[in-house]
Amino acid sequence: MTAGGYFGQALVVDATSGSAAALPLPDEVLRAYLGGVGLGVWLLHRLAPAGVDALAPEAPLAFVFSPLVGTSLTTSAKFAVVAKSPLTGMLTDALASSHFAIAGKLTGNDAIVVRGARSELSVLLADGDGVRFEAAGDLAGLSAAETSSRLRERLGRGWRVGAIGPAGERGVRYATISHDGRHAGRGGLGAVLGAKRIKAVAVRAAERKVPPADPEAVLAAARDLRARSFGPATAKYRELGTLANLLAFNAISTLPTRNFQAASFEGASHLAAEQVAELRKVARNSCASCTIGCEHIYAARGGKKMRVEYENVFALGPMCGVSDPDAVLAASAYCDDLGIDTISAGGTIAWAMECVERGLIDAPWLRFGDADALLRVLAEIGARSGLGDLLADGSRRAAEQVGGGSAAFAPHVKGLEMPGYEPRSLHAMALGLAVNARGADHNRSGAYEADLSGEVDRLDGGSAHVTAAVETEDRAAVMDSMILCKFLRGVFTDPFAEWADLLSAVTGWDLTAAELRRTARRILLAKRLYNLREGWQPADDWLPERLLSEPLELASGRVAALTPDRLRTMIDGYYAARGLDGQGRPDPADLADLHLP
Amino acid sequence: MAKAAGVVLAGGRSSRMGSPKAALEWHGSTLLWCTVAIIGRATAGPVVVVRAPGQELPDLPPDTEVVEDPREGQGPVQGIAAGLAALADRADVAFVSSTDLPFLHPAFVRRVVRAAADGADVGLPVARGFRQPLAASYRTTLAPAAERLVRDGRLKPAFLFDQCTVATLDEAALHADPVLAALDPALDSVLNVNEPADYQAARARPAPEVTVQRFGVLADGHRGAEQVRAATVSEAAEAAGVTLGRHVAAALNGDQITRDGQTPLATGDTVFFLSADAGG
Repeated sequence: MTAGGYFGQALVVDATSGSAAALPLPDEVLRAYLGGVGLGVWLLHRLAPAGVDALAPEAPLAFVFSPLVGTSLTTSAKFAVVAKSPLTGMLTDALASSHFAIAGKLTGNDAIVVRGARSELSVLLADGDGVRFEAAGDLAGLSAAETSSRLRERLGRGWRVGAIGPAGERGVRYATISHDGRHAGRGGLGAVLGAKRIKAVAVRAAERKVPPADPEAVLAAARDLRARSFGPATAKYRELGTLANLLAFNAISTLPTRNFQAASFEGASHLAAEQVAELRKVARNSCASCTIGCEHIYAARGGKKMRVEYENVFALGPMCGVSDPDAVLAASAYCDDLGIDTISAGGTIAWAMECVERGLIDAPWLRFGDADALLRVLAEIGARSGLGDLLADGSRRAAEQVGGGSAAFAPHVKGLEMPGYEPRSLHAMALGLAVNARGADHNRSGAYEADLSGEVDRLDGGSAHVTAAVETEDRAAVMDSMILCKFLRGVFTDPFAEWADLLSAVTGWDLTAAELRRTARRILLAKRLYNLREGWQPADDWLPERLLSEPLELASGRVAALTPDRLRTMIDGYYAARGLDGQGRPDPADLADLHLP
Repeated sequence: MAKAAGVVLAGGRSSRMGSPKAALEWHGSTLLWCTVAIIGRATAGPVVVVRAPGQELPDLPPDTEVVEDPREGQGPVQGIAAGLAALADRADVAFVSSTDLPFLHPAFVRRVVRAAADGADVGLPVARGFRQPLAASYRTTLAPAAERLVRDGRLKPAFLFDQCTVATLDEAALHADPVLAALDPALDSVLNVNEPADYQAARARPAPEVTVQRFGVLADGHRGAEQVRAATVSEAAEAAGVTLGRHVAAALNGDQITRDGQTPLATGDTVFFLSADAGG
């Protein structure tokens, strides 16, 4: 009997033939990987041919739900999208939220996996009756939002749509898949869907329910979590949103600026949440099933409404030296229209701006701080025209093309551009960024929490930083698999035990905190193993050379330096803590516990 | 770059004070706590407290190390030897201090440490009319020489200075550091408290003037910086109207982040209060 909260199957769609088949998901696999990111990793091991090109038809793309989706637990309406990344050549897993998760799961599947490719641009429709494809030539070139709107008009409002923008159609390697303005943003999942010539995936709930094992316990937990979600742990997200980070990060020299040439930005106050909110904020919104309401809706120049987060403002503002809030909002809205990841876009453009400064790229118009140039280059990336064709491949590939030492300041790990956390002044985060399976990533490793809490000296990385990085990775692995929004993480005082109780109530399993810790390690090991299979090398767990050779002088007089030796020592400590050998490879004895095909 | 650390000699008899100076109350903690924490802030390295055999110490900041003098009543050179020896494999230079410097400023510590880090064996301030061997910097390689002096019964720091290179820092040299000149112009860093009247006078002084700024949801409409008087992070938080805790952290001068309210402040410090829930 399948556990509560699950249907016990994935729907595997062959886009080439238009057919679909159910893949049974045994109870032991579900218990071992939970759902979301964890189950997605298992599905990739199960369905992805070794060494497949990320953009080849054979490469699978999985939309993965979780046992909590559809319950009344706050922030549970989330889904993961998992595939081999065209940007990194390794695993990528991105989360998005809201009604697509609920409708997708209630098609009767714990995951929908797409393989193959269409001969013409199409829409994949999935509901309780199975799948079918419809031609989507009329949607070519449209934004994800416009695509969704047109499809819902055509199909009916019961359908929920995840779609790509024009950048996904054109193979921009950091294209996104978007649903209702929220993006499965990192690693180029939109390019994977685009390569299959699928413009959108539309899902509709069937008349199916998947009751939890103990409905009363789930309801009680939902009430409790809801109450806690209004407390101080989520105040920042409710009141100002993640953009509240910007001014604080600037004050403590952790705001990457001009392609990591500095860690504070003289124009930060213009982009601060407090300032922009006064000028442009129009509303606050939340995902389905969420009581936090972290989404702060702003009006860009011209009135277009958009969500603003710290990461898109950091990447298109300080990272590119742009301080005009209207320009940054417009650039962010443009990225949404194109369907590209703002972090990778900003990082790649900032790298190109520095290349121009150094005479390595002949595009004198592309200068740090030039808002018009920012919008122009975004357009070129979206169209893969001019310089944009080079930059559409991300900073790592572009640096390989341009040469001239530009790889030293290409702001990526494993090919994924860096988020807005300065590793030289956040040493626990530096480790988290270096070793993460997805690449430079702040959502699968929240080690910055230790740096910013005062638990460790953020400028003096050592064993305590390793412990913090391991712990936050473990927590993220469970949260991203069961799935709950990480903005809720601060409300849990004994997280693994509390999550075990929640999952037990939904599934009927007798989970413990200890088992969930093992689950976290299993998921992380499975990710590492997948990357190993796809060509990961020890040198991939590292940071850009600039960050290890150019110290930062802080306003206090202290120097923020991260030497190669210090990073090596932390990585060695991380490998030891994870039970890996000195080269970052797993002990074969640990593989038996992975339940891999 | 020389690695710096600290040594605080707590084993004195406090005979003129009439009670252990290390345990004297100071803005919610003790003089010893304050001295250790200021040196820790300034050096960003380990701090070793040297106590007399069996001496009971008040609470100390986290990660403070404690070593004992081998024998009681042998004077400061024995303590210097013990402290430097404890740090020998982890630091190049140590700022060595007595317990009772309530106005010790991090800028003073950094200036004095720099003297020894620049090549001398000892950076010796001469301030307010006296040489200040217990507010001075020493290369940790001096530990064996200091131990030999103790064995020979030569217990004054001057004997150690005879055997090494001493960079004397007179007041002009100290004031040549613009940061120190601005933040501790009277060189109150070397003011010590020996008698109850000294202690009372020190307590009567106003707390240092510091700048506070709140960020994000903590700002609650208060943008920009404010000047307040506060001797600890807790006092600064109170003045700013915030409460340190699981969700609120303080950043000192834009680098060290703490939720420890007892962290001492010094004139010119800036304290940023920010949400510890910094993700997203």
